[in-house]
Amino acid sequence: MTRPGEAKLNHLFQPGKIGKFEVKNRIKYGACCVSNYNGRDGTITPRELARVRVIAGTGCGLITNQGAYPDALGEGKSYFRQIAIHDDKFLPQFEMIARYIHDAGAMAMQQILHAGRYGGIDLGYCVQPSVVPQTLPHFRPPRELTKDQIKVVIAQHADAAKRAVRAGFDATEVTSFMGYLLANFNSRFTNQRTDEYGGSVENRGRFMRELIDAIKQATPDNPLSIRLNGAELMDRWGGNTQDESFELMQQAVDCGVDMISVTVGWQEAPESSFGRDVEPGYWNFLSEKAKKMFPNVLVAFGNRLPEPAMANDCVKDGVFDYWEVCRPLLADPEMIHKAAEDRMEEVRPCIGSLNCLSRLFRDLPYTCTMNPMLGHEVEPEYHVTEATEKKRIMIIGAGPAGMEAAITARKRGHAVTVFDKADKIGGALGAYAANDLARPADLQSVIDYYGVMAKKLGVEVRLNTEANAKFMRSVLHEYDVCIVAAGSRTDMAVFQYLEGAELLVDALEVAHGRVKTGKRVVMIGGGMIGLTISEFLAKAGHEVTVIEKEKRIGGDIMPTFKWRHTAWVDELGIKTVTLAQLVKVTKEGATVKTPKGEQFIPCDSVIVSSPRKANHDLFYEFQWMVDELHGGGDATVPRGLDAAIQEGYRLGVRI
Amino acid sequence: MTTATDLSFGEIAPWQSMLDRHSELFLDMVEGSRIGFVSREASGILPGKHLDGVKAATDVPLLAWQLENGAMSARIERFAGMASTKVDLLLVADEEAMATMLGELQGDTPTVIKRLIRRGRMMFFVFKNKAQLQDAGYEDFLDSLGLAFLGACR
Repeated sequence: MTRPGEAKLNHLFQPGKIGKFEVKNRIKYGACCVSNYNGRDGTITPRELARVRVIAGTGCGLITNQGAYPDALGEGKSYFRQIAIHDDKFLPQFEMIARYIHDAGAMAMQQILHAGRYGGIDLGYCVQPSVVPQTLPHFRPPRELTKDQIKVVIAQHADAAKRAVRAGFDATEVTSFMGYLLANFNSRFTNQRTDEYGGSVENRGRFMRELIDAIKQATPDNPLSIRLNGAELMDRWGGNTQDESFELMQQAVDCGVDMISVTVGWQEAPESSFGRDVEPGYWNFLSEKAKKMFPNVLVAFGNRLPEPAMANDCVKDGVFDYWEVCRPLLADPEMIHKAAEDRMEEVRPCIGSLNCLSRLFRDLPYTCTMNPMLGHEVEPEYHVTEATEKKRIMIIGAGPAGMEAAITARKRGHAVTVFDKADKIGGALGAYAANDLARPADLQSVIDYYGVMAKKLGVEVRLNTEANAKFMRSVLHEYDVCIVAAGSRTDMAVFQYLEGAELLVDALEVAHGRVKTGKRVVMIGGGMIGLTISEFLAKAGHEVTVIEKEKRIGGDIMPTFKWRHTAWVDELGIKTVTLAQLVKVTKEGATVKTPKGEQFIPCDSVIVSSPRKANHDLFYEFQWMVDELHGGGDATVPRGLDAAIQEGYRLGVRI
Repeated sequence: MTTATDLSFGEIAPWQSMLDRHSELFLDMVEGSRIGFVSREASGILPGKHLDGVKAATDVPLLAWQLENGAMSARIERFAGMASTKVDLLLVADEEAMATMLGELQGDTPTVIKRLIRRGRMMFFVFKNKAQLQDAGYEDFLDSLGLAFLGACR
């Protein structure tokens, strides 16, 4: 029976065929991230297997298992706990994964990932076509592959493909995504060889053509997908032009590849390809071009395309054949099912925070800002199970921590009431979203999601209600549990003895739009909050100077998005003074102290965004008034959205 | 020896003065830390044709910043190709970048360099890995150039 969402998104949910394999819909789970859940030797762990069961059940017609490195030495290994496929000893776990995928009615594809320039994580060097030094310190010094070594690498890929098929996978994929080995050979930037593997586009593509040929010979009955850049975004470094990228795609098509997965960008590219600052659908033109050039080859695409409705239109309009999706399914593994049932408003949105990637670059397992369950699938303690004893829970604060705790506890059968002194849910996140230059709709979608789920699940939300001791006395014995998730505030008390303290303005008041500032603004604090408001004000025409007591601004911002803020600071002409402390404020301006002496900055308003202080005063008020008292989110330690959601969930799932 | 290419870096004194003004960027760096600048045109390290620079460069001036006695000092040396260069970071500036830097030595030069890197006028290569650079105290300097110290993937 066709479900209502399937009828609406009928192009996306129509069946397809890849080679001889029937595919139930046009959705490809993309192997866009490795999980870092596995053994240091490449073995697949129970944690990974539990995670893959969830991926298998996402409802995608085609599921690509995360990239495995194909060589025993680990030259192709890019991530700390990446899986390996260079030996038969790994087969049993791959067999289980293929079975999980087939049991869920999907086609199984295994990605082979030789990271090339970004590889050799355990070796202290990487291999490339040519010795082009790194531009990012994260990676390792290069060694040039000899012609004999190239043959070996190609054979390793073919063996890996054969092994994947033996394990039960229907298809394989080789990726050049983000600057891996295949991309290194294809690109003018990293391939400056003078032999037959370098020079012209024809020669640079030779490695790819031999690779495709070897894999097709090794697995003649199984489709091969190849992930290729539509745009490297490396032009300024001498990388391929878009025309050259499509010329290379043509070579892959001529070699008989079954699917081209179009990707964008290298890790070292100086601009975003899928961060929050990129408008959804921005890169679709690359896929559209590929589809027009290669009408007889399947094209998959998904860079910065988070919405099923947009993907449905793309399939309808011939922009691509398969929607390649990963990160939105990290945020909500049920998204495809919800889309099929026309319940998209219940989807936990991917906000493109890139928390997942930030963690990978610190050699940590990936997690998700929006999905606290991600990576904990193997742990029963993280599963939402019916509570043994149903309790009456009051939650102080309707920000992300409070709302996450509320909906999780409610799913387990508890009766939940959320109190907030504001007239709407969202807490400080709403104010932050309103000032966000990247894409306010992303952050607002988090609040909308909580609103929808609270209503659907029957969480009572009492707004315009301030929780204090008097209030607690009025509800005494009505609740068994109290969760204080009242967020944090600007610690204005730090400045109480400062000359001119009465002239200071709280950043939160500015963010909420309750206080208007003058033309010239000094912002105290160059962290995430201070920078976000500063950027918003600067864009609106204010002259902004940020004062930061640490050596650098943006210390609390995720590495993968910090560059964006520092670039905005530069582009918007925001001045920064670091290692500086506010010492005096007058109507004429602010005086700050730096290691080089005192500095007067003329301004009309001085906004304080730092330090932050947890709103944990209520703990002391309530500790003798309720049976169980818990705290979560910024009310315990001021941090950010991901910590708030994680802690809210852990509380909700435990009580 | 003074050659036309040497002149592309101008006098050393303004460079030294600039480094002294921005000494906070180098506070955590260990003795012997070295950052090099070469001209893109003189070295032959052109976008997409790096090997020419790697292998063929001879007698090309290199502006070296070296930490000694707790302070960064500037000097002109010879660049003999990437393989033999003794720097931790190498910045390869095109003519426009060279001219821009020279014109901004009295101002906020690190910010100017950051912009030149982003605009592709200055190429940037690392010769030590993340751990080595962290241990050598490079985080502040790399941060000032707007570079993602712990990977990118945006």
